[in-house]
Amino acid sequence: MSAKKERVIPSEYIPEVGSHVETIDGQDYLITNDAMYTFYQRTKGEFSPFFLSMRDDKKLLGCKCSKCGLVRVPPFLTHCPDCNFAPTEMIEVEQVGVMNSTPPITYFATSLFQHMAPYGRGRVIFNGADTAMSVILYTTTGILVPGIITKGTEVKLIFKDNRIGEMTDVFCVPTTELTQEQVNKKGLQESEIDWESPVEPELPEVSDKDVADYNAALKEIKSIIEEMNANERARKDIAGWKRDILIKTMGGRFAISIDDGNIELEERELTSPDFVMVCENPRTLLDGLAYRGAITDSVINKKLWISKNMEFNTIFKLDRMARSVARSKKI
Amino acid sequence: MSKRVGIVGAGVTPFKGTWREKTYYELAQMATREAVKDAQVPIQDVDAAFYGIYNDIFERTAIPEHAIHGLLGMQNKFGIRITTGGATGAYTMSAAHAYLAAGRFKTALVLGVEKATDCFDFSSMSATPEVIKSIGWSGDSFFEQPIGWSASDSYAEVVLAYKDEHPEDLKPEITAQISAQLSQQVRDNVHAQRQFDQVTAEEVLNSRLVAYPFRELEICVYSEGAAALILAEEDTARAISKNTGNPVVWITGVGESNEHSFAGKNQKDMSRIMSDHDASHRAYGMAGIEDPTKSIQIVELHDAFVHQLEISMAEFGLAPLGNADSLIEENLMTPGGKYLVNPCGGLIYCGHAVGASNIMSAWSARNELIKRNLKTALLHGTGSTIAQYTACMILEHE
Repeated sequence: MSAKKERVIPSEYIPEVGSHVETIDGQDYLITNDAMYTFYQRTKGEFSPFFLSMRDDKKLLGCKCSKCGLVRVPPFLTHCPDCNFAPTEMIEVEQVGVMNSTPPITYFATSLFQHMAPYGRGRVIFNGADTAMSVILYTTTGILVPGIITKGTEVKLIFKDNRIGEMTDVFCVPTTELTQEQVNKKGLQESEIDWESPVEPELPEVSDKDVADYNAALKEIKSIIEEMNANERARKDIAGWKRDILIKTMGGRFAISIDDGNIELEERELTSPDFVMVCENPRTLLDGLAYRGAITDSVINKKLWISKNMEFNTIFKLDRMARSVARSKKI
Repeated sequence: MSKRVGIVGAGVTPFKGTWREKTYYELAQMATREAVKDAQVPIQDVDAAFYGIYNDIFERTAIPEHAIHGLLGMQNKFGIRITTGGATGAYTMSAAHAYLAAGRFKTALVLGVEKATDCFDFSSMSATPEVIKSIGWSGDSFFEQPIGWSASDSYAEVVLAYKDEHPEDLKPEITAQISAQLSQQVRDNVHAQRQFDQVTAEEVLNSRLVAYPFRELEICVYSEGAAALILAEEDTARAISKNTGNPVVWITGVGESNEHSFAGKNQKDMSRIMSDHDASHRAYGMAGIEDPTKSIQIVELHDAFVHQLEISMAEFGLAPLGNADSLIEENLMTPGGKYLVNPCGGLIYCGHAVGASNIMSAWSARNELIKRNLKTALLHGTGSTIAQYTACMILEHE
């Protein structure tokens, strides 16, 4: 069912055969590139109806104990351990539920999950179920930050357009971000949701002082960007990366363009940026670029908003550039 | 009737971010050599070996203990490996205790070893992401691994659920202060990975958020190292003690609990670490402790995350559930306070060489009981997804 052929292990993660020597206290120690790999044809066994119904029918199944009536979603078992292993039966449950507790958000994922970070992973009790199912959580409003999804938040199960029979076939978003029609629809797909209208934070009215502060901060940001552009280590941090970013602050707007190792600041509006960054005080961005606190922290702490969740990766690259410049100065 | 069991020897290797100079074979032998030297017992007189090694992927072999059994001089004797996630070390001690208490053996080697940071991510050219990824294979493989389960997000789930019920507890300034205090305590631990990494509460607060709500300086660090104990049943322990002149530290209480792996009705209550509660109270019961607030003096607690340290202390009954911040605000664990918590610096500053960590904690608790002439310590190991597993022990110094 996968739309495109993909390798189980992407080739970029596979090292070349090789070795090197590290010398510690005058003694050489050998280190060899290696891997411990095993491939599987993984049995889904009794879970097959659950995964197949998500993949093929866009349905969510659970199992109900014939004795105590407890409904477990996902259907973990065929017999209930609470009732001396009374048999369970498969039933369909609703695709709307509530968060069992406030979910954590992973911002810095390992190579396995970088493509989906930042993501929430939380437990949802779907209507009709008694137990919670772990799901990936997203928002359509921009970057996922603490506070958007908390304990008790009502969420809707969304089916990916391309499904392969894994838990990654589905994710949840808050129902408040959907129309009533979408909330009611069974088997709602990701392509039916508007991902292109993030809710941009409003900036307050500006004073002359704000404009003066903006101009002073902008001058410093310009200087740091020039420094980054001249720093080989920082340039490597954005090798192969291309982004046009529109930055909106209380005192004014400007653009940062990243293009395969080059970074430039331009005092102009972008008509079709890759993403928008909004921060009331331009010094929030300035401090991050100057390595006085991470920009990623500012995003997580809601001092700086970005319009696209996946662009957190770009923010991380900006942090790395700041660190690279700082480290170069230390040497 | 079961026999009394005590610790008569202990040894620890330095905990380091990476040991390029040693394989896990040599680390295992280093700790064992130290432990038998401390007990003044030749390895030939040790009856059985209990191995605490958490993760096959770290050691890059599926039965990591088989190669070291003979290399430690234990050939043709009983040897068993325990692996229970982060609680591996504590559970390994628990298993050894059970065999000795049952009279199967007179002496036992308890050895924990881990070599984690050979795992290496070639895309970022650093070890940490691959170590985290390797631990990620510990999550439920059908429903949770594929959607990004990690040790951090799993423990964060529990902490955030606790915060749902107690929003005023676990204040950032308190967790930061605890981390700063642990960084001071580690100064005396010559084997610690971060012995000279002292930080202020402000530095903790300013450190990077790694997985909300955990900051970089509030999370244990991955280590490589080994720790070993020699345990003995009562008569043998007394004989060894007479020989060495070191007092026996008795294991007077043991308790374990593994919760449900999934949340919801009849399953895990995410806002609690019931495994900590149940295991500690079972250990109190076995040791005859009715009020732990009156008996426990030292706590060697598995602090995977500072927030979890606070919740664990509350689950042990040593602080009110919902007001764990009283550990600092009411000076329960500040220097000179009622409880000496993680004098070794804990896993956040000494380091977390998973299978060895809780055994290192036992080494520390034993040292502190003897050095400070105190009577009772609580030892703790936590592990698996959503703080599912706990093993606790009561150590007593006559």
